[in-house]
Amino acid sequence: MENTVVRIKDLVKRYGDLIALDHFELEIKDGEIFGLLGPNGSGKTTTINCLLSLLSFDKGDIEIFGKKMTPVSYDIKKEIGVIMQNVAVFDELTVYENIDYFCGLYISDKAKRRQYVEEAIKFVGLEDFRKFYPKKLSGGLLRRLNIACGIAHKPKLIILDEPTVAVDPQSRNRILEGIQELNRNGATVIYTSHYMEEVEQICTRIAIMDKGRKVAEGTKDELKRMIKNTETITIEILELPGKVLGEVAGLPHIYDADYVDGRLVLSCSGGKHNLTRVLDVLHKHELGFGRVYTELPTLNDVFLEITGKALRDKED
Amino acid sequence: MFLHILKYELKNGLRTKDLMIWLILFPIALGICFKIAFGSIYDKTEKFSSIPVAIVEENENEAFRQVINSIESSEEPFLKASFVTREKAEKLLDDGEVEGIIFSGDELSLTVKEKGLRETMLKFFTEQFTVRERIISDAIKTSPEKAQEVIAALTENTESSCRDIPVTQGNPDLYIQYFYNLIAMVALFGCNTGVHITIQNQADLSALGARNNCSPAHKSVSILACLAGSFIMQTFCMILCVSFVAFILKVDFGDRLLLVYPAAILGGILGVSFGFFVGSLARVGEKAKTAIVTSAAMLMCFCSGLMMANMKLFIAEKMPWFNNINPAALISDCFYCLNIYEDYGRFISKLINIAVITVIFIFLGFISSRRKKYASV
Repeated sequence: MENTVVRIKDLVKRYGDLIALDHFELEIKDGEIFGLLGPNGSGKTTTINCLLSLLSFDKGDIEIFGKKMTPVSYDIKKEIGVIMQNVAVFDELTVYENIDYFCGLYISDKAKRRQYVEEAIKFVGLEDFRKFYPKKLSGGLLRRLNIACGIAHKPKLIILDEPTVAVDPQSRNRILEGIQELNRNGATVIYTSHYMEEVEQICTRIAIMDKGRKVAEGTKDELKRMIKNTETITIEILELPGKVLGEVAGLPHIYDADYVDGRLVLSCSGGKHNLTRVLDVLHKHELGFGRVYTELPTLNDVFLEITGKALRDKED
Repeated sequence: MFLHILKYELKNGLRTKDLMIWLILFPIALGICFKIAFGSIYDKTEKFSSIPVAIVEENENEAFRQVINSIESSEEPFLKASFVTREKAEKLLDDGEVEGIIFSGDELSLTVKEKGLRETMLKFFTEQFTVRERIISDAIKTSPEKAQEVIAALTENTESSCRDIPVTQGNPDLYIQYFYNLIAMVALFGCNTGVHITIQNQADLSALGARNNCSPAHKSVSILACLAGSFIMQTFCMILCVSFVAFILKVDFGDRLLLVYPAAILGGILGVSFGFFVGSLARVGEKAKTAIVTSAAMLMCFCSGLMMANMKLFIAEKMPWFNNINPAALISDCFYCLNIYEDYGRFISKLINIAVITVIFIFLGFISSRRKKYASV
């Protein structure tokens, strides 16, 4: 295909007995913000490292911009911007010098580089910190510097590996908005995260990974359509006789009903007016209730249904 | 690309406080300590001063008096003689104003109050005089015609055994060896910048290494630029160290100070190369690598006599080959040869040894670092 930027075929990577990538396949099109979503240890970073030819792998092919990616594919590397999970900057260089150093690995023209560095500083909002050393920057600002170092040379493909880990909400929003802006300016983006909200917010297409395998792929709507759940209804109710619970569970389109700790949680699959029908049953039995709310399925629900476990731990 | 990386390597290196502490401040502090600690010992023990001695003439001994006069009239006399009475001599000895009393009678005899180097020298002198006087008087009695010949032979022998033979204008004492070792240690501390090169260029060692490996900069160019930067920084530190020792601490390097600089610089380059080699070999983390290379450098300095001056001699006896491959010993030997031997043969030989080992370290480091993909990152 003409507009395929990244193609990974049958990728297998083992660490001893552990299979980190299990016949992993992926195709990313030009102009996408492609999300790799999965819990810690699912193989996202390994995929990125194989993609960048940092890691050796046991089997498979990787093509970027239609060419086979190897460690000496310097022409391909020139078009890639990389923002690593761990901040990779020089402690003894200032913000400006760090960005200039990395930009200089791609752009040799000094005047052009100066302009690019200034644009990158402005893009990530570090105008007031250009002479600061990394040690003096907060976690969020440091992440922004890391991003500036990766995108200053205006790459066609930007790879961001968990760029918002340990970042405050303000910086996180700025980073996410920035990624969307880079995409609007023509860059294809690969974004890995275990924060489903972020992936849902910015990605145009998503692959969900677990244990080195791709368990689902599509737009967020496509992914949500893959699962049975279309709506979750929660009603706070002080007392619910078993007979009433059975009646509610027997309503059309409700496939699961739980009453725990004063909360009635109903999982619905398709249908309309599910909430109205449930409330009618409660009125009929003259049962009072508190808050009532419904939720559409999230990517966590998708992950939960496909793998049988939550996407991330509660403490994440 | 090379110059771009070199520029930032230098900026980053010169601002790295740890490196500057270990390569500049620590040697300065250690040099001052050496000067304070060993300088005074040297002045007391190594610098020779005349031995005060009282001479009591019990019988007139013209030959002995002539010998004493001859010694005292020399440029650096080893005896400072006082011809006194027995009572006066005993008082001087009791008061510690003389080291001993020589009684000049039919035979020479010596009285001392303590045992020590200077007392031993007095004993040796009186014994030598007695032996030679007897040889000459026997020769006069048995073969008077050969007496003059015997006297001439003994005199010649005395001159050859006592003559100071300056091979260079250097300072070949044990004290200065500590400063040679100090410079060698600074040179070897360059291993830390060498390790830093591998850490910065290997994807499995640091985030920075991984990031650099993603860039379109050729790895060999990047490594060469980093090596060049480290060599320049190390050279700067070596020049500073030698200048400090020579001009501030006023340690006497003889008339070949200008040759000490290239030897020190080459030693520094060897230190960086050693760190680069070890850093690229060991499959361990950044901190472990730094610990390994620093420990190895300290061990080599120990074996070259930095902490114990006799250690190098011990190694030379038990494992002579080790001193030829121990970078610290090679560097300090280089200075020693420069200072001791008049010709440059040994000095050049040591320099060649250093250069060869440096090239081997760089070559092996390159071979090991050129790996393009990593099993784990």
